[in-house]
Amino acid sequence: MKTARVIYEEGGHRWLALVRDPNRPEYLIDTNEYLVSVGDDAILLDPGGNEIFPAVFSALSTEFDPRKIDKLFASHQDPDIISSLSLWLEFNPQIKCHISWLWASFVPHFGGNQDTFVPIPDGGADIFVGGQRLQAIPAHYLHSSGNFHLYDSKAKILFSGDVGAALLPPGEDSLFVEDFDRHIRHAETFHRRWMGSERAKRDWCDRVSQLDIEMLCPQHGAIYRGAHVRRFIDWFAQLEIGIVRR
Amino acid sequence: MALANQDPGCELRRIVRINEEIKSVIARAFKINLMAMNAIFLAKRAGQSALGFGVLSNELRRFAMDLQRQMTQLRETTYGSVATVTALVKQARLNNVLERARREATGIGRGVIDEFMRGRHGFAHARQREQIGALNRRLSQMIADTSQLVELGSVLARSAKIEAAYGGPFSAALMQVSSDFENTIGEIQRSLASLSKQREL
Ligand SMILES: [Fe+2]
Ligand SMILES: [Fe+2]
Repeated sequence: MKTARVIYEEGGHRWLALVRDPNRPEYLIDTNEYLVSVGDDAILLDPGGNEIFPAVFSALSTEFDPRKIDKLFASHQDPDIISSLSLWLEFNPQIKCHISWLWASFVPHFGGNQDTFVPIPDGGADIFVGGQRLQAIPAHYLHSSGNFHLYDSKAKILFSGDVGAALLPPGEDSLFVEDFDRHIRHAETFHRRWMGSERAKRDWCDRVSQLDIEMLCPQHGAIYRGAHVRRFIDWFAQLEIGIVRR
Repeated sequence: MALANQDPGCELRRIVRINEEIKSVIARAFKINLMAMNAIFLAKRAGQSALGFGVLSNELRRFAMDLQRQMTQLRETTYGSVATVTALVKQARLNNVLERARREATGIGRGVIDEFMRGRHGFAHARQREQIGALNRRLSQMIADTSQLVELGSVLARSAKIEAAYGGPFSAALMQVSSDFENTIGEIQRSLASLSKQREL
């Protein structure tokens, strides 16, 4: 099963990272899931694929009652993000899934009905968890055409979906980025190939540069914290993207 | 009766086999229809001596059309069962993931899944058994009705063969047509027998 790691805690406000399942089969890409809880209220970010549901569910329930999860946030529509939706709905049929309006009629193919989805407009939206405001920040075309990140201004954490993702080899998979230069090599090919729009990338870099970010948490790979956050944004800003190598 | 504990994927493959069998019966019914039309013309040409044969050919043509209609209904029912079986496949897949989650989970997670699966099992099982039972009864009834109809067809074909003997100069031709009828109906009977073997879900 995965490990549940507390990456932020202040009063009843907590960020939990569900990471690194040693039993995950090779053929599935490794993913990170995050649970933001404030008291008894919680939202699960990019809950993951069907196949890894057991690992996520078990790790999560070591720290939080899974029946209390009534909100999901899906940065975009990919199977590694949200194909477990129908399983979460089994436990709580009232669960709401916040996702770009663009995908609100596609993702029901994974499960849910007309009451399940809360479409996020292109400009973003606020989602409240236990009274704490979280902001869905537009990150369209990075890589999905309807794509959001989630910012917690109190914890100063930005959940950044596939942006910042790295495919880490075994033995180099620590939870936080330690050596930036060494780490970023595992992120480069991913960003060049998956991120399609130069203009969207510049918009995103400008937008997040104005946020106060202590931790940037991607859906794959390691978490950037402190000075590494700025370094990542600068690195991404100058990276040439949207390229297929032949 | 196969329930969620057996592989419901094989139920889907079985439906495909049933459907192929139904298609082959429909194709043969169509063939009988054409053969009967030819037989009607042939009987007309043979005139007075083939009157009985002509009447039987007409009956065989009506039989072929009835058979086509029944088989189309059977096909629709079979397609309808795809939805039920697909739901079973989904349930089985869900059970599988939940079972894995139960094995991995400790503490509260384990309790939550245990409780959830207890509630779910009884309910889902009873409903599935009911749905599949109803479906089985309907399919059996339809196949039994069709077998009766085909029995009638077989009697018509045998009578046509007897009538052919009185066909004078056309006797050989009429005999050929009536054994074609007999063979095709025999093939249909074999298909139906294999259908009734397969129908139990
Ligand atoms: Fe993705
Ligand atoms: Fe991803």
